[in-house]
Amino acid sequence: MFTRFEEYAAASMLGAPDSPPRVDGKLLFTNRWERDVFGLALSLAKAGCFEWEDFRQSLIASIARWETADCADQPRWDYYERFLEALLDVIEAHGVLSRSELTRIIKARVPAADDAATH
Amino acid sequence: MSNLFEFPEDREASSAAKVRALEALLIEKGVLGSDSVDAVLKHFETMAGPFNGAKIVAHAWVDPAYKQRLLEDTPKAIAELSLPLGMAGAEGEHMAAVANDSEVHNLIICTLCSCYPWPVLGLPPYWYKDPVFRARGVREPRAVLQEFGVTVPPAKQVKVWDSSAQIRWFVIPEQPANTAHLSEAELAALVTPESMMGVALVAAPAV
Repeated sequence: MFTRFEEYAAASMLGAPDSPPRVDGKLLFTNRWERDVFGLALSLAKAGCFEWEDFRQSLIASIARWETADCADQPRWDYYERFLEALLDVIEAHGVLSRSELTRIIKARVPAADDAATH
Repeated sequence: MSNLFEFPEDREASSAAKVRALEALLIEKGVLGSDSVDAVLKHFETMAGPFNGAKIVAHAWVDPAYKQRLLEDTPKAIAELSLPLGMAGAEGEHMAAVANDSEVHNLIICTLCSCYPWPVLGLPPYWYKDPVFRARGVREPRAVLQEFGVTVPPAKQVKVWDSSAQIRWFVIPEQPANTAHLSEAELAALVTPESMMGVALVAAPAV
């Protein structure tokens, strides 16, 4: 019996192909955006925008696409890249955002200040 | 105009920008509140996690009377400590502690992660949901412990506790030798989630 959505959501992924990276009983985020995208997916499901299981199936599909993609132009494995792709897919499928809004998201660029800082 | 693949070498920064834009738009549209994301993550980062269990164990090591209270009425004893709210409430109310000592080694198992004591241990490890682990944990706990690198002397009893919706067990491991001089916070840093599941011992800090 779960009394917290957060625990239900995380537990449902454990031992499955979509299991998130973790270490010592804690979620492992290498970058700030990974933490944010994980939180976004949970928050949206908690808010009722889609079922958590719908997101999980989208994530499993995204991982499967990566696994069967041609090796030649395949980017290196990154769990949270697949996570972001799956989240955008499920957001579109459930009409949380429109296609034009999602296009804007996909085209989002690094702000000039950040860009300068990383170069 | 940019396109999706304009900065392939900058994939990390590109993902970060997308996530930031996504969050901003969802907040702007009122789909999410401005603190929704932090609120769900806070659950994992400060509310439920092995750091809580480690504090409880370290306090039990330095205060034998507290340890006794922890064994007798776990939720009540946990409530004595300054841990996040909810620790001794709804999620933690079925928790029960068992202590390792010179005569007994405790191992906790469970096939349903819903029975895992999340508030004190955090996320279960990947093998915890494996039915084979549970089945072998019941049938041949010493062999399973050996595979985890824990050798239990024949004279020592092994007790296996099956967590359920009624009771979520966690283990108070034995305090390692030569650590009596350490502070409570230093002791807490030694306690791992695995040691509170009984599949590892707490090691003394490397000198």
